[in-house]
This record gives sequence, C-alpha cells and structure tokens, in this order.
Amino acid sequence: MKQPRLSLRRRLKSPALIVGWNTDVGKLGLKVTEYLNNKLDSEYIDEIEPTDFFPLGGVTIEDDIVRFPENKLYACPKRDVMIFKGDAPSYEWYKFFNLILDMSEHHGPVKEVYVIGGMVLLGAHTTPRELVPVFNSPELKQALSQYNLGKNMDYQTPPGQRPTLNSFLLWTARQRKKPAVSLWVPIPFYLVAVEDPNAQRKILEFLDRRLNLNIDFSDIDEEARKQNEKLERVRASFPEINDYISKLESNMRLSEKENEELAKQIQEALTPKGLEV
Amino acid sequence: MGVKLYKEPKLKKPDIIVGWPGIGNIGIVTVDTIREQIQAEEFGEIEAHDFFYPSRVTIKADLLADLEFPRSRFYYKHLDKKDLIIFTGEEQPTDGARLYAEGRKAYEMANLVLDVAEKFDCQRVYTSGAAVSLVHHRMKPRVWLVPNKKELLGELKRIDNTVLMSEVEGRAGQGSITGLNGLLLGVAQKRGLPGVCLMGEIPDYLSGAPFPYPKASKSVLEVISHILGIPIDSSKLDGMDAKVLEVIENLYAQLPQEIIERIEQRTAVPAPGTITEEDQKWIKEHIDEFFKKGGKGDEAT
Repeated sequence: MKQPRLSLRRRLKSPALIVGWNTDVGKLGLKVTEYLNNKLDSEYIDEIEPTDFFPLGGVTIEDDIVRFPENKLYACPKRDVMIFKGDAPSYEWYKFFNLILDMSEHHGPVKEVYVIGGMVLLGAHTTPRELVPVFNSPELKQALSQYNLGKNMDYQTPPGQRPTLNSFLLWTARQRKKPAVSLWVPIPFYLVAVEDPNAQRKILEFLDRRLNLNIDFSDIDEEARKQNEKLERVRASFPEINDYISKLESNMRLSEKENEELAKQIQEALTPKGLEV
Repeated sequence: MGVKLYKEPKLKKPDIIVGWPGIGNIGIVTVDTIREQIQAEEFGEIEAHDFFYPSRVTIKADLLADLEFPRSRFYYKHLDKKDLIIFTGEEQPTDGARLYAEGRKAYEMANLVLDVAEKFDCQRVYTSGAAVSLVHHRMKPRVWLVPNKKELLGELKRIDNTVLMSEVEGRAGQGSITGLNGLLLGVAQKRGLPGVCLMGEIPDYLSGAPFPYPKASKSVLEVISHILGIPIDSSKLDGMDAKVLEVIENLYAQLPQEIIERIEQRTAVPAPGTITEEDQKWIKEHIDEFFKKGGKGDEAT
C-alpha cells in the first residue's frame, strides 16, 4: 500500500467507515458520499492506486468527460468518521477490500463499517423508501435494532447470478472480525439512471442518527420536493406515463416495453437537457 | 493465499490428475468420473477468496450467513498399482474479465497445485481438456497427447486411439493449449516434473455449446485408464452421452442442408481435418449462427 499523500494531524479515535461506490444504482453511493464529504467538510487522506485492480487499457468517457478509476479515503475527525468513495474493482476484489480496511485502520481503529448500496425496485416513486440491512455480525444487528431496520430477510443468490460486491466486502470485514452492515435502498427502476434524493435521504438520516453527524437536510429535502413536483408534472402532461405509474402504485406489473418507455420518459424529463414540462 | 490440507496422507510416489471446466467440460467430466469411481477422499483445498469472485451468498434473517466461492480441491486414493492425487477446480482463475485462465492468478494457481504435487512426491502430472477439431459428432473422438518432456514421446506413441501433435493432420507438431490445463504443464516443465495433457476431440461446431461432450471424456478415460493401469469404467458416461447426442442431433437437424452436407464429408474422409482452410472458415461462419460461441476452456489450437 502506498503511503498517504496527506496525513491527519492525529489518528481518529474509533471511527466509523462509510463505503460508497461511484457506479451504484441511482448513483446512490456516489451522491451519499459526496454529500457527506461536503456536509462534514471531510479532508482527503489517502487513496488506492488503480494498478492491480483495473484493466487500465485506456479510459472511459462518461457525460463527455474522461473518467479514470478513483478510490479515495476522506476523514472528518470532528465526527470520527471516514468515508471511502471508490470505483468497483474489476479483479483482485479480496485484496482490494483488505486494502480499504488496511488503509482506514492506518488512520484509526475502525469500529464499524457501513456500506451503501442501491437496488432496483419494480415499484413507484411514491412508495416510501426503505432501508434493507444485511449484517455481518449478530452483535451489530443487535446494536442497530433500536433503529428498526431489520426485516429478517432471507435470501440466496439465484442460479446464474453472482453475489454483490457489498456482500464480498461484508464477508472480508467479517474475516477480520470487523462489524459491518450493508445498507440497501430500493430505488424505483425509472429513477435508476437519474438520481433519487429520497433514497439518499433515507440512508443519510440513518447515518446521521447513528453517527451523530448533526446534518441539516433542508437542501436534500428541497431537492426531493422539486423532483417530486417534476414527476407530478410529467404525470399530468403524459397520461400514458401517469397510467404506468398508477399501475405500479396498485402493485401491478408493467410489460417490458412499458418499463422501458416509462424509464425513458422520466429520464428525459429529469435530466437537465430533458424536455420542459 | 495458500493451500489448506486437512490431512497429510502417506502416499507412495503418486501421480496427480488435474481437471478444470473448459470446452465441453471434457477434462472435468473425465477427472470427476475417475474420482467418483475410485472413491477418492478429499484431503485439502486451495483457499478460494484470493482467486475468485464469490458464487453464492446466503442471508438469513438479515445476517450474512455464508458466502460461497468456487472450490479447488485435492483428493487422494491408495490403489494397487499406484497411488493417486486428484485435483479439481470448479472455475479457472483469471486476472481479467475472460472466463478462462490467464495472467498472474492462473500462474499462482498452477504453482499451488504443483506445490502439493511435489510435497507428496508426485512422479507425473496429467491434465485433460478439449481438442477442437474438424471431426463429426458421430465419430469416436481421438485423444491428442501432449507431453512436457521429449522422453515421454516414445511411451505415448504406442497407445490406441491417440495422436501426437505431429500426427494431427495439418499440425506439423505445432499448436497451443490455452487455459490452466496447458499452463500447468508448462509450470511443471519448469520444475522438471513430467506431465501429459490428454485432449479429447470435440467438433468445432460444438466448441461453444453450453453442454458437456461426454463422448470425448469417454475416450480420454480409456486412455488414462491404460496409462495408469487402473480399471475405469467409461460406460458410466453412456447415459449422459446418449442424452447429449439427442440434443446435438436435434440441433444438427435444424442446420441448412448445405452445411450438413459439408460436415457429413468429414465422416467420409479417412483422416478428419483434411478439408481445406476455406471450408473450415465457411463452416465456422455458418455454424456460429446456430451455436452461440462460449469463451471458456482449454483449447488446443
């Protein structure tokens, strides 16, 4: 592991580590970590070099801009929090996850790890967002029981699919006896390509309570309100879209074509260059 | 990263037989059949998390109960004539996005397997895979034998239904073995450990098919049984072979007549592989429309 470029004046006491991925469903990991870094005035303290973990046969271009893998660790000593914001590695996952934990431990004895993850919901945006946790230790599950998170969910990877990166990270943390929880928020499928401030709010408010971050959420609430208004205007302007969303609100399934149409229309309406409604 | 041995059996100059999934699963079906028939006992494994992405997660009541990885296991058996170690891997490790072994991870895996082989004083290493050939699925597959030492050539020449690379039509002794079945032999050569790769012929038009090709595994079983001097009943694969043949015949019947005619010519020529390169290209281009090409495997090319 390379040495940190900047070093904290002192080690953190017993920090919580929050992990979010840049390429998450609904940009959830990216937006939550960016929001936290901004609100907590975090400082960059370390990073993982991309060699060993990414192909590096060139660069990708996203939204007109070159995008290079970036895996950075930030710290907010005041709140005893570290935030890792990174790109999912292409290989050497176990080594990568251990590096995240090693790098964090170098700056303070990490107490708990919180991993952010968005998942696709085949439902309407008017459904209240939920937080679905997966713990790697019964003790942490017990410790977080006061937040009323648990759904006592059972799950097994279906044939032909693979576990998520977050499950692998949780398992790696458990190998090191490090309590960790992945926090999943289901995001309506038609918001996956844009953003979902309501989902971000759901994770943030939990982290705020758990880690005593004392965040003022008025800005993200305003963002959520504006998005809801836009969605209402889309519904009012496009009866077909309104029908689709109404069906979802009635717990009905849409056809694949209807799903695609709804996602396309919403994406166009909610992106800055989208149609005015 | 390493090997976990649950026990250290006392073995007398064993050989090691190694198998990973690949084209037609010819190698892994062969090795698994031997393992089952001789009732080999598991005695260790290579730790998986450094090599593989997990294959399955189990969550119970919100708790991560288990995370399963592809297994890479060692077995052993005392036999009358020879002790045997068997190694089977459920996946081939790779550094990149490809499904078959390549890069540093594959090299590390090959070295770990051979570390165990040398620890138990293995005399020879056998791997098995597919030889993608211009043969017909109704023909009995031959077994291509590729040793990693020149001294083995004489011994291998005398075995029925086998060919050396120099005897394969149009090869002139040249070729390559992709994946771990090849790499392992190379690493064994580097260590001075003799080894042989046994590759069962599979028709080129089935090389991307998503099902095994037990007909070739049967051929490999017969040859390895002869080499090791241990009785292996290859007829145990007859049932699987019949089922797969039925699937192949159904698919084959859907091919355009002109393609069928070209493939049928293979049964008429005394030595498969003698059709022209132009024919080969033509058939491949058309066949791929019927069988989606896969990317995994140990392929002799």
